[in-house]
Amino acid sequence: MKAIKFSRNPLLSERLPLWRRRLVLGVLLAGFTVLVGRSLYLQGINNEFLGDKGRARFERVIDISATRGRITDRHGDVVAVSTPVRSIWAIPEDTKLTPSQSRDLAQMLDMDVRELNRKLASERDFAYVKRQLPPELADRITALQLPGLRQKNEYRRYYPSGEVMAHILGFTGVDDAGQEGIELAFNTQLTGKPGSRRIIKDRRGNVVEDVESISQPVEGKDIVLSMDSKIQFIAYTYLRKAIEEHRAKAGGIVVLDARSGEVLALVNMPTYNPNNRVKLVGAQLRNRALTDTFEPGSTMKPFAAALALEKGKARFNTPIQTAPGKLTIGTATISDAHPHGVLTVAQVIQKSSNVGISKLALSMTPAEMWEMFDALGFGTTLKLGFPGEVSGRLRPAKTWKPIEQATMAYGHGISVTLMQLARAYQAFARDGDLTPLSLTRLDMPPAIGKQVFSTQTAREVRAMLELAVLPGGTAPKAQVPGYRAAGKTGTAHKLEGGAYANKYVASFVGFAPVSDPRLIIAIMVDEPSNGKHYGGDVAAPVFSQVMGESLRTLGVESDAPQKPLQVANAAPVKEEM
Amino acid sequence: MLKRWALATQHKHNTPSELDELLLWPALGLLLFGMVMVYSSSIALAEGSRFTGHQPMYFLLRHSVFLCVGLVAGVMAFQIPLRLWQQAAPWLFLAGVLLLVLVLVPHVGRSVNGAQRWIPLGPINLQPSELMKLFAVLYAADYTARKLDDMSSFRRGFFPMAVVMVLIGGLLLREPDFGAFVVIVSIAVGILFLGGINGRLFGGLLLVMAVAFVILIWSSPYRLERITSYMDPWKDPLGKGYQLSHALIAFGRGEWFGVGLGASVEKLFYLPEAHTDFLLAVIAEELGFVGVLVTIGLFALLVQRAFAIGRQALMLDRIYAGLVAQGVGIWLGIQTFINMGVNMGLLPTKGLTLPLMSFGGSGLVANCLALGVLLRVDWENRQLMRGQQV
Repeated sequence: MKAIKFSRNPLLSERLPLWRRRLVLGVLLAGFTVLVGRSLYLQGINNEFLGDKGRARFERVIDISATRGRITDRHGDVVAVSTPVRSIWAIPEDTKLTPSQSRDLAQMLDMDVRELNRKLASERDFAYVKRQLPPELADRITALQLPGLRQKNEYRRYYPSGEVMAHILGFTGVDDAGQEGIELAFNTQLTGKPGSRRIIKDRRGNVVEDVESISQPVEGKDIVLSMDSKIQFIAYTYLRKAIEEHRAKAGGIVVLDARSGEVLALVNMPTYNPNNRVKLVGAQLRNRALTDTFEPGSTMKPFAAALALEKGKARFNTPIQTAPGKLTIGTATISDAHPHGVLTVAQVIQKSSNVGISKLALSMTPAEMWEMFDALGFGTTLKLGFPGEVSGRLRPAKTWKPIEQATMAYGHGISVTLMQLARAYQAFARDGDLTPLSLTRLDMPPAIGKQVFSTQTAREVRAMLELAVLPGGTAPKAQVPGYRAAGKTGTAHKLEGGAYANKYVASFVGFAPVSDPRLIIAIMVDEPSNGKHYGGDVAAPVFSQVMGESLRTLGVESDAPQKPLQVANAAPVKEEM
Repeated sequence: MLKRWALATQHKHNTPSELDELLLWPALGLLLFGMVMVYSSSIALAEGSRFTGHQPMYFLLRHSVFLCVGLVAGVMAFQIPLRLWQQAAPWLFLAGVLLLVLVLVPHVGRSVNGAQRWIPLGPINLQPSELMKLFAVLYAADYTARKLDDMSSFRRGFFPMAVVMVLIGGLLLREPDFGAFVVIVSIAVGILFLGGINGRLFGGLLLVMAVAFVILIWSSPYRLERITSYMDPWKDPLGKGYQLSHALIAFGRGEWFGVGLGASVEKLFYLPEAHTDFLLAVIAEELGFVGVLVTIGLFALLVQRAFAIGRQALMLDRIYAGLVAQGVGIWLGIQTFINMGVNMGLLPTKGLTLPLMSFGGSGLVANCLALGVLLRVDWENRQLMRGQQV
């Protein structure tokens, strides 16, 4: 095929010179050689630089979410758990559905077709169609093979106990981070640590290749609460019943383990269902027992009495003249609605005499009383780590006037949370000492707490409080069949705009069994408005029911005969307000 | 068995081939390789796009149909003697000019991304500038063969062709299709040069063209932008340098042996026009330097064969056929060089496909026609060398 000599024509080769053909072909082949060289440079020499540029474009480090820890009650029953769900999202531009496809999809998603179409008409590249669907439903939508629809794995928090434990647990946001309650307080432990991996994604954000795992996720830790689901349910049931019966605005109940300081139950009314995300707004979310304060009223009286015993100002049977049922201090007058005459200290508590307790209080200095209140934990937060926990109000002793010192002894001019009040009763339920409270289960209960009163004082006040529950006291309805109970009622006028209004807060704080106190229960009912408003009528029955059932649930040995309550023939003594 | 095989090979040697196998097989190889790479580079785009109805084989199916049409057209072109091609050349060229005018008529021509280059004909779009490249080869060869004696004259040899080129250039730049303009002018000038145009005249022509190019580039902001972006794609890698920077990343990622067929990341919506103008970048990423080297090698072989066939024709005193063959060589060589240079960042970005390989019906059919004509030149050479008539 090479030179064919016979056809070489001198005329031709002069006209079409060979060198020109060689030059043109040479230039073209030289061009190709340059291309080879350039390719060699790009792919063999400069490839590191270009590879880095590429990695910067396509590689991303993404988080692998750690599963949020579960929350269980003290027996290991799950009360909050993250379940896998899927969110449906779309690239609106790519999602062009036929009317029948839209209708089917809307029906499956339980959405309005117009709303669906509005979402798919979005100008953006990304639109959530519906979030947090059960995986089975999401699989059925995948099976429809609709263009442009994508799915994303997420977790949804589920609370099996619903509204029963709502306030303690709180809830998480859509992004699975704690927003309230335990979920917020223990968010760091529950969340764990997300891991990360390096991936290659296409320009539309789809992961196309897993390059490497950088760190493994550390799963969130489970939190074991101090709560007892059974007691919680008992408390919830009876508080709710009382609120309905007395048409109260709100209410709360706290159940403490007197020995360990563990919170066994905490219920607030009104409550909410944390599984229904739409309704997570408003006052119902407030955990009143920890975040709202109120003037406790007569439930404070035992503390002043105990201090008088402690300081040697009086004894169990020291008589106090309460006649004529009035006591004027400065310009103000303290009165008992039902004058009693001479009462022992024990009877002052049993019958809840304002005059009697005021006289006892005035026998001490303001500083002594302030120190006691402070030692009982009033005026400072409980440091449970619970979001929004408040301290209540306890003014410095120097600013106290005598009338204020007297009213504080029966729970006015001082404000507390229900939890603080319940905890302060530990001093009587135990032998004069207080332990810290705990929202999580303790492996080792604290042996001995902070001593506020002597054992002797504590036992004497315990006896007084038992009298208050027996016929002749203010709260015979608080008696617990089969157990000896002790406690104190409170009925306080509510402060509204600086004046006491004709609205009440009925309360009761008590413990049982008296022979070896196990549970402390504090109940507060805000604005009972169905005729009865005394703590002995509104709150005491709740105490009796919750205490009885809870003790039996715990299998606590009874220390009293299972006799019917002596309520019918012994109308409760009306307490003072 | 062995004996029979030996006999068969011997038999082959005894009867010389009717066709240039060094041209045919590389050309078919590039066509099939192109089909595979078009599929690989377009699959994600086709699947992810509403316009293709989310069919992953959208581009593959169309490319296959174009390829079949192209092969039939190439076989038909092979049947036509060069004598007839030469007679038809001016008319074909005129038809090409008419199509170039037609594409600019509003409502007739179809505009994509601001360039009016297509005439919609039912299910397909015709791109006149692709056919014009073939017609330019046929016509320039005819012109030069006819005016061989006037090649040293400016007025008779050069001027008429210059007027034609200015006309064609004007039409192409109106679309605009700068790439086709460069290719067609290169073909015409190259054939004139091979046809023996006066050396000083040619030097002057090159100078004038160089000046004209510079003026063209400076006068049009979009061309200037493309120039500046190719100089340093990393200055504005997400803006003007976007496409080139992704093409270069594809080369870099490919390294020696590539990331594997089908495994390109750049084709996943990052690199625009991966299945057309930037097909080589996907080849580079998936098959590495080796893949690029093989591709360039096959094209170099093709160009070399075109020139060899042309030279043989000229030696047989078939001036028209020789110039056509070399014109095809220039066309394939220039277009391949520019396309690859663009992919590698050696040249400013312009809309030119990789011959025989890129997606695009008109270009593929025009390339196949050109190969048919080239094989015809070779076939006629062989017939003449055996003393037969054509």
